[in-house]
Amino acid sequence: MAMLEIENLSKFFGDLEVLRDVNISVSKGEVVVIIGPSGSGKSTLLRCINLLEHPTGGEILYQDENITKLGKKVTNYRKRVGMVFQRFNLFPLKTVLENVMYAPMKLNKLPKKEAKDQAMQLLHKVGLENKAEAYPAALSGGQQQRVAIARALAMQPEMLLFDEPTSALDPELVGDVLEVMKQLASEGMTMVVVTHEMGFAKEVADRVIFMDGGYIVEADTPATIFTTPKNERTRAFLARVL
Amino acid sequence: MELNFTKAFVTLGPSLWDGIGIVVYITLIGFALALVVALLLAVGRISKNKVLNRILSFFIELIRGTPLLVQFFYIYYVIPMLLNSVVSLVGIDANIQFKPATCGIIGFAINYGCYMSEVIRAAIMAIDHGQREAGLALGFSERQVLLRFIIPPAIRNSVPVFGNYLVMMIKDTSLLSMISVQELLLRTKTFASQTFMTVEAYTILALFYLVISIPLSQLSKIVERKLKQVG
Repeated sequence: MAMLEIENLSKFFGDLEVLRDVNISVSKGEVVVIIGPSGSGKSTLLRCINLLEHPTGGEILYQDENITKLGKKVTNYRKRVGMVFQRFNLFPLKTVLENVMYAPMKLNKLPKKEAKDQAMQLLHKVGLENKAEAYPAALSGGQQQRVAIARALAMQPEMLLFDEPTSALDPELVGDVLEVMKQLASEGMTMVVVTHEMGFAKEVADRVIFMDGGYIVEADTPATIFTTPKNERTRAFLARVL
Repeated sequence: MELNFTKAFVTLGPSLWDGIGIVVYITLIGFALALVVALLLAVGRISKNKVLNRILSFFIELIRGTPLLVQFFYIYYVIPMLLNSVVSLVGIDANIQFKPATCGIIGFAINYGCYMSEVIRAAIMAIDHGQREAGLALGFSERQVLLRFIIPPAIRNSVPVFGNYLVMMIKDTSLLSMISVQELLLRTKTFASQTFMTVEAYTILALFYLVISIPLSQLSKIVERKLKQVG
């Protein structure tokens, strides 16, 4: 059964059509990687999935519930779907540990000690337990992004959305973040990842979706997309980036 | 011209010292209320409710477009008269009057509240949009995001400017002499007119203000530095 089902999704910003007739189905445990040129609608699609942008038309079904009609209950849905941003968006006045502890304590009423234990475990997992007391400003971009992943995991999400998680990083810092993401994938986390990291897509994705001009041009296994793409635009894009 | 600062200080000093109590009292309460007014106005101004937005922005323009002294007069003389005539319509002879110090506090709360609301509003707008999105994505509601992730850093960033406003408010208490608050200027004026020690009296007054305002602005600079170290 599909965990996430997107049907005929469209999105306009004013008169500008940024998503057109998008259909995607994501199964539990699946890693779907979305690639495509800048302005192709990848990020908007991802932001529609957790309703940071509200779709103009179509439906998004999460475990058979149409989330575009949730109204204020959208917060309950967002607790179950984590998101990692390109610019990390850590809370600058909180320490690394507080960043990870805060949401489960405030939203799930997790006792402080448990929240702290869980946060330390997650920081260990992303290799940053020694930075627990540091403030985000003292961390490198790659470290901040790994904290952001730990923060998202602290809510024990069923699915994680990654919006170009390595695009704001210096090249030498990309690897550590991708390692953490690969580990999550191997543990069976359901993931939708917008990225320019073709290596990651080849290695980790169960399915690669190529978007251009606001709609899905081609969706297939990484082996097919990267070796024998059917569409001319996919070929042209891959020829430029690979 | 013969000047005798010692003689002037012996008489005027204790009187000014009493006056400082009133100045501090009005400033502290006035400033605390101004902060509350500022926060409410700022949150109202960033809300999506267009009608509320228009009303508040008109109100802020009204207050910022008129002198503080005129506002004190309005609160002291005009508003009680208006209230009395409204109350008399229902046949009650109330004779409402405000104490001068109360008028000072109300005037400061509204006037400084309007100015400081624009500071807070700008600080809120300057908070990175990603903070809001990160909060929402974790499952916080819009209101929780505003209260937990937007307003606290915005206020923190406003603190250095608030320090300047606090010093300004202390100096502006001198305007309250016009509505007979027994603050420093009124006390000095009375002393000067009784003793003709005009030069001594107003020089001592100016020094009194400096003794309050210089340490305060130094303190706000220290706070500003401390805040910069963490964030």
